[in-house]
Amino acid sequence: MMIFNRFPTAAGVLLASGIALNFAMLATAYAQSAGASDPTNAGKAVFSRANCVGCHKWHGNGGGGYGGDALSLRNTELTRDQIIETVGCGRPGTGMPFFMRGAYDEVKCHDMSRQDAGAQMPPEGGTFLRPKDIEAVADYVIVHIKGAGEPTYAECVAFFSSTSRVCDVYKAPAQKPDDAATKMGKGQ
Amino acid sequence: MEQYSGHTRMLMRGCLLAAAAAATSVMGALPVSAADEVNQERLLNVDKEPGNWLHHHQNYSAHRFSTLKEVNRDNVKNLKVAWTMHLGGIEGGGIWSHGGLEGTPIAENGFLYVTDGWGSVYKIDAHGGRGVLVWKMDPKTDRDWAGAVACCGVDNRGVALWGNLVISHTLDGRLIATNKETGQVAWQRTVADPDKGEVITGAPLIVKNMAITGVAGAEYGIRGWIAATDLTTQKEVWRTHTIPGKGEPGSETWKDSDNAAAAGGGSTWVTGTYDPAADTIVWGIGNPGPDWDNAYRPGDNLYTDSSLALDATTGKIKWHYQHTPNDPYDYDSVAENVLVDIPGPSGPRKLSLEADRNGFAYAIDRTNGKFVWGLPFVKKVTWTKGLDPESGKPIEYDPSKSVQTYIASVTPSRTNMETDICPGNMGGKNWPPTAYNPDLKLWYIPVIESCNRIKVEVMTPDKLKKREFWTGGGPAQPFKITGSVTAIDVTTGKVAGKMETPFPNLGGILATPDLVFTGQPSGEVMALDAKSLQKLWEFNTGGGVNAPPMTFTVDGKQYVAILVGLGGAWDKWFIDSTPELKKIQPGSMLYVFAL
Repeated sequence: MMIFNRFPTAAGVLLASGIALNFAMLATAYAQSAGASDPTNAGKAVFSRANCVGCHKWHGNGGGGYGGDALSLRNTELTRDQIIETVGCGRPGTGMPFFMRGAYDEVKCHDMSRQDAGAQMPPEGGTFLRPKDIEAVADYVIVHIKGAGEPTYAECVAFFSSTSRVCDVYKAPAQKPDDAATKMGKGQ
Repeated sequence: MEQYSGHTRMLMRGCLLAAAAAATSVMGALPVSAADEVNQERLLNVDKEPGNWLHHHQNYSAHRFSTLKEVNRDNVKNLKVAWTMHLGGIEGGGIWSHGGLEGTPIAENGFLYVTDGWGSVYKIDAHGGRGVLVWKMDPKTDRDWAGAVACCGVDNRGVALWGNLVISHTLDGRLIATNKETGQVAWQRTVADPDKGEVITGAPLIVKNMAITGVAGAEYGIRGWIAATDLTTQKEVWRTHTIPGKGEPGSETWKDSDNAAAAGGGSTWVTGTYDPAADTIVWGIGNPGPDWDNAYRPGDNLYTDSSLALDATTGKIKWHYQHTPNDPYDYDSVAENVLVDIPGPSGPRKLSLEADRNGFAYAIDRTNGKFVWGLPFVKKVTWTKGLDPESGKPIEYDPSKSVQTYIASVTPSRTNMETDICPGNMGGKNWPPTAYNPDLKLWYIPVIESCNRIKVEVMTPDKLKKREFWTGGGPAQPFKITGSVTAIDVTTGKVAGKMETPFPNLGGILATPDLVFTGQPSGEVMALDAKSLQKLWEFNTGGGVNAPPMTFTVDGKQYVAILVGLGGAWDKWFIDSTPELKKIQPGSMLYVFAL
C-alpha cells in the first residue's frame, strides 16, 4: 500500500493493476480521495523527488538549521516565472541549487555564465529537471504553498498520505490519535 | 540463512505485536546455552574473552582497545578482504535523501550484530571465513516522522547484548529487544518522542539489567535526558534531565525570562561509559539551543556542554564539568568520556578523558569532577587564547557576565552576526570515538581540522515551533576541511603525535597493542603504527568510511570489521568544505579483513 500511497497518480494505478486487481482498486480509490484530478500532483512529486523537502521541508516554510536559512515559500512574493527561473538557475551566492541541465554553461542564468558567476556559482541540484518538471513544481508551489499561512494537518496529510505519524503534531490536542502502540509503549 | 525463511519473513512483515507473540513461543523451543547469555559478569570482564566485542565502546571505559595481536605491526601489510556483505537502509526519509552507516559491530562467539541507519539489526554468522546472514530485524521505523527531525542524518550506531536479547534503538524513539536466536522482537518500549523533536541515534549502554538511552534533538528545542529501562520489567527505572528543572541546582544558570531552559537542548546522543567501582555512569552532554544565539539564554546553561556523572542505580547527578559555558559555537560535549587510571605520586589517578568539539582535550578527576589538564588537539583554535591552568575554563570566561563573548571578534553574537571560527561547528572531534592503548598510555583522537562561517539569527519565543529547527543561525563552509589522528600521552597531557589526513576523520579509531586502525570518508581503511602513527597498510573500500573499525576472532582467527557508507551530517551540511567527497556514493556495506 505504501508504494501506491506515495504515487497516487495514473502511473501508480497502472503499476498496481499490473500486480493485483484488488490493489489497483484500492489505489484508485485512494487516488480519488486525494484528488487525482489535481493538476499539481506532478509538481508535488517533483517537490519530493528533487529533494526540495531537504531544505524547504514538506510545508515549504524552510527555516534555519545546519544548512542555513532556506527561504519560506509560504511567504514568498515570487511570481510563477520567477520561481521557474529560481529553480532552473538556483540563487547565486546561496545554497539554493540550480536544477536545469546546462545552466550557466549552455544557457546563461541571470545573464551569467559559469565564469561570470565565479564564487557566487550556486550548487548543482541532486537531480536535473526537465522544463516541464520545473513548471510543474512551480505550479505546485503557487497553488499549495505560496501564501498558505501556517502548515495545517490537512495539508500535511495531503502531502504524506497517512502512512506516517509525521502529521500528528499539527493536530489540535483533541484530535491526537489514541494510538494503541504508542499508548502501550508509554504505559510500560 | 535457514532462519531467514519464508515463515520468518512473513512474521517480520507482520505487525510487531504479532512478532512479539510469536517470539515467545519460538523462544521456548530453542535452547540457548548459558555461554551465549550475556550477563553483568561478562560485561564487567570483557578482558577474559578478547575474541569477542561485547560493548559498543569495547569495554565499560570506552577504550576501544583489543589485546588481539595476530594482526600486528610486522604482518599488517598482508591484511586482505576476507568477506563483505551488502546491507540495506540507505533509503531517504524526512529531510534526508539517504541513510548511512555509523555503527560499531558487536561480536560474540563468531556472530556479528550490526545495524543500518534506519535501525534494522542484522545477525551475521562469521564462521568459516565468510559471512552468512542469520536474520534481519526491520523495526519499520517511521521514516518521515523521524527523518524530519534528525538534525544530522539517518544514523544508528549499533546494538548491545543482554541475556538472550539484542538491544537496539530506532530513530523514531524506540528501545527494542530482539531474541538473539530467532530475530523476533521480544518487546519494545517508546523512550523518545519525535513529536517533541526527540530522536535516538546512539547504541544503548547496558548496566546491571538496565538499558541506558540517550537522546538527540538540541537543534529542535528539546530538553535533553538520559533514561534507564529495566530489561526485565521493561519499565523506566530513572530519567535524569540534563537541564535542571525550576528550583533544582543548576537552574540558576538559566537567567532569562522566556523559559529558555525548557527548550535548552543538552542532548545525549553518544553512548556513555560506566565505572563499576564507583557505580557511576559518565555521559557527555550536548550543546544548548538555540545553538548560535547565546544572548537568548543568558547564564552558563548547565548541564549543556558538560561531562555529567550519574549514580547508576538512581540516576542522581554526582558531579559535572562544563567545558564551554553559555556556548555560542555549537561546541557540544556529547563525546564519550574515556575512563583511564594513571599512576600518580599519591596512588593511581582516576581520570575521565573527553575530546571536546571546542578543540580541547580534557582530563577530569572522575572521583570529584575536578579539572586535571587540558590542551588543544586541533591545529587551529581562534575562539579562546587557551584554558585557565587551574580551572580549565576558557581564559576569557567571566562568571560575572551572563552572556559570554570569549574572543569577541570571532565569536557569533547579536553584535557579530557573521563570523569565522575555528574549530568549525562540527567541532575538532565529533561523535566518532577515540581509542586508548593502556600499555602505551596513548589516547588517539579522530580529528576534524576545521574552521567555518557562522551566521546568527536573533531568536524570539514565537520562533520556537514543534519539530522545527531552533538554531539561532547556521553555518556555511567556505574553508577546506582536513583531518588527523592525534595521539595524546595521557601521563603528561601532551600531544605525542599527529598523522594528518586529506579529509576529516568521520569514523573513529580502534587500538591494538601495536596498531591503530581508522578510515577516511574518501574510502580508505588504514592501519598505523601505534607509536609513530606511520601508515603501514591501506585499503580503499570504494565507499565513504563513516564508522569505527573493530576486531574479533572466529575459530581462533583474527578479523577486523568496519561498516562503510557515507551518511550522517557531513554530506548534507558540510560537503562544501570537502568538495571531492561529492563523488562518494551512498552505500551500505560491511567489510571484514583478515591475514
